[in-house]
Amino acid sequence: MLAGNLVNGLLLGSVYGMMTMGLSLIFGVLRIVNVGHGPFLMVGAFIAFWMFHLFGLPPVVSIPLAIAAGIVLGFIFFYLVIRRLVGAPELTTLLATFAIGILLEEIAKFLWGPDFRGFSWNVGKLALPPITTIPMSKIYALISSVVIALILYLWFRKARSGTAIRAVMEDSEGARVCGVNVEGIYALSFALGIGLTVLGGTLLTLFIPVGINPYMGGIYTLKAFVIAVLGGLVSPWGAFYAGFVFGLIENGSYTLFGLIPSIEPFSMTRFLAFLLLLVILLFKPTGILGGR
Amino acid sequence: MRRRLAKYYPLVPVYALYLTLFLIGLHVRGMWQSMALLAFYAALGQAFNIFLGMTGYVDFGYVAFLALGSYGMALAVSGLYKFDWLGGGIVVIGLLLALVMAGLLSIAVGGIALRLRGAYFAIATIGVNEGFRYLIEGARLWGGSEGIIISRNLREAFGTAGANYLSTFWADTLIFIIAALAALITVRYMHSKIGYALTALREDEDAAKVMGINTTKYKIIAFITSASLGGLIGASAWALKLTYVFPADVFAIIYTVEAIVIVLLGGAGTLLGPLVGGVIYAALKYWLSVTFPGLQLLILAPIIIIIIVAFPQGLIGVLKAKVKGTALEKVIV
Repeated sequence: MLAGNLVNGLLLGSVYGMMTMGLSLIFGVLRIVNVGHGPFLMVGAFIAFWMFHLFGLPPVVSIPLAIAAGIVLGFIFFYLVIRRLVGAPELTTLLATFAIGILLEEIAKFLWGPDFRGFSWNVGKLALPPITTIPMSKIYALISSVVIALILYLWFRKARSGTAIRAVMEDSEGARVCGVNVEGIYALSFALGIGLTVLGGTLLTLFIPVGINPYMGGIYTLKAFVIAVLGGLVSPWGAFYAGFVFGLIENGSYTLFGLIPSIEPFSMTRFLAFLLLLVILLFKPTGILGGR
Repeated sequence: MRRRLAKYYPLVPVYALYLTLFLIGLHVRGMWQSMALLAFYAALGQAFNIFLGMTGYVDFGYVAFLALGSYGMALAVSGLYKFDWLGGGIVVIGLLLALVMAGLLSIAVGGIALRLRGAYFAIATIGVNEGFRYLIEGARLWGGSEGIIISRNLREAFGTAGANYLSTFWADTLIFIIAALAALITVRYMHSKIGYALTALREDEDAAKVMGINTTKYKIIAFITSASLGGLIGASAWALKLTYVFPADVFAIIYTVEAIVIVLLGGAGTLLGPLVGGVIYAALKYWLSVTFPGLQLLILAPIIIIIIVAFPQGLIGVLKAKVKGTALEKVIV
């Protein structure tokens, strides 16, 4: 039972990692904490829902659309709002990104109503005796996450723009001196970060196929913070690995807490997540994994 | 003597405004609730401003202090309502307990989080807010996710009429008093060593440290003050007035956001700012809920964004710059 839960935790963790990479990318390059992270996930989830509901396309196929939509949204918000706030005090950017998040939620509620939506994509199960059986849809989520993370890794290593992003992450002044168009990289990083976040939301629906609604993002913002801090706020790769760790911890602790009678395991697991957040922030703010 | 009193002059417009609102509420039919709402947001803004405005740090988990204050009041009432001889003292004890609980949390949080800078601090405070809420729900503390309901307790202690009077008149009047108290404390801090230290560290923390200012000490002072006042607000505006406390409601992050907006709108770090911001925000919110029901947040969100990008110093901030060099300078603070 615990082993089955852990396997599930790993699978979920891949999506958790994917959904947090955008957050870390944006912070790593722009030093902006996107407090409106969750609502962008929600957008991705709705994309998955509508693609399935209207055209019967499973979430995995919606991936390119999700990334594209996210990048477009990212560019829009960057040029409208974020561009003026680079280097502004934290209060300003935190509040601005939060307000953007609220705007997204309200627009979603306006367009699609506050009701919960869902769908189910059944493509059979994979049996791993004696531990557990896993729905194939979750396996596809895992594969997608890993593949995308790999593509991203190669792009960062080999492509000029990817290397430029890494340069700006490390030292924006130095990068500027080397001829990198730093403002352009800011825009690109933000857009890419949002794209990854929206994508994360799409993949997330493979794990929570019911419960899609305009306000679903909030709790994931918080989880993403914990994961991002765990992986070292500045590194997308740290975030990816940290996602797996978090998935394991979350599922494992849920099972273990469930064994204690006077405790409500769902809330207690979330409490543990925040405890973890505080402990890491206190003792190792650069994160436990990867990170720089 | 005149010199010493002069520093309290800025309180005059503030108190005048509070008194006006209070009297309007009292004597104009049907306006009590609206005035109470204005007072709530003004109080929230003034209390929050003591930390946000004066240090420049964002406590994204501020509402936790209001929450703990509510629990303080609720616990006092539900625990002591059987003791008739205490009478109205239950409420006083409730307020004290609220103060203590919020204060203790702020010491704990401040001790941990205030070592962190900027974004890390903000994330840590969100973590505290949510973490505490889930602790209460998870460990089934103080009623767990079902919270505490004190309406029956109040009725048994004070009779139906008495309980009603408490929850409507006294709860709201208390909020006015707390707002006035917060304003007083703000002025006292502003013109003291505390205020100068906070301004220094807000402008440039590293320079302040180099000058020998113990920044952590002053940050903690501001933090605890702001938190304690928040606790009092929660105790009266939520526990006493609504007569129930549910963790999902009292830890709702929206109140922190509203507090931030109010302080920013009015002018962070100013005295009049949060008051003006609170009144305008409350009025705007109410008007929006009547004219465009269900769309308030949709309209407010872009407004917030515009304020942040275009007017970060807030209304009073802009006004202050305009009255510099005139006689009004001493009053518009």
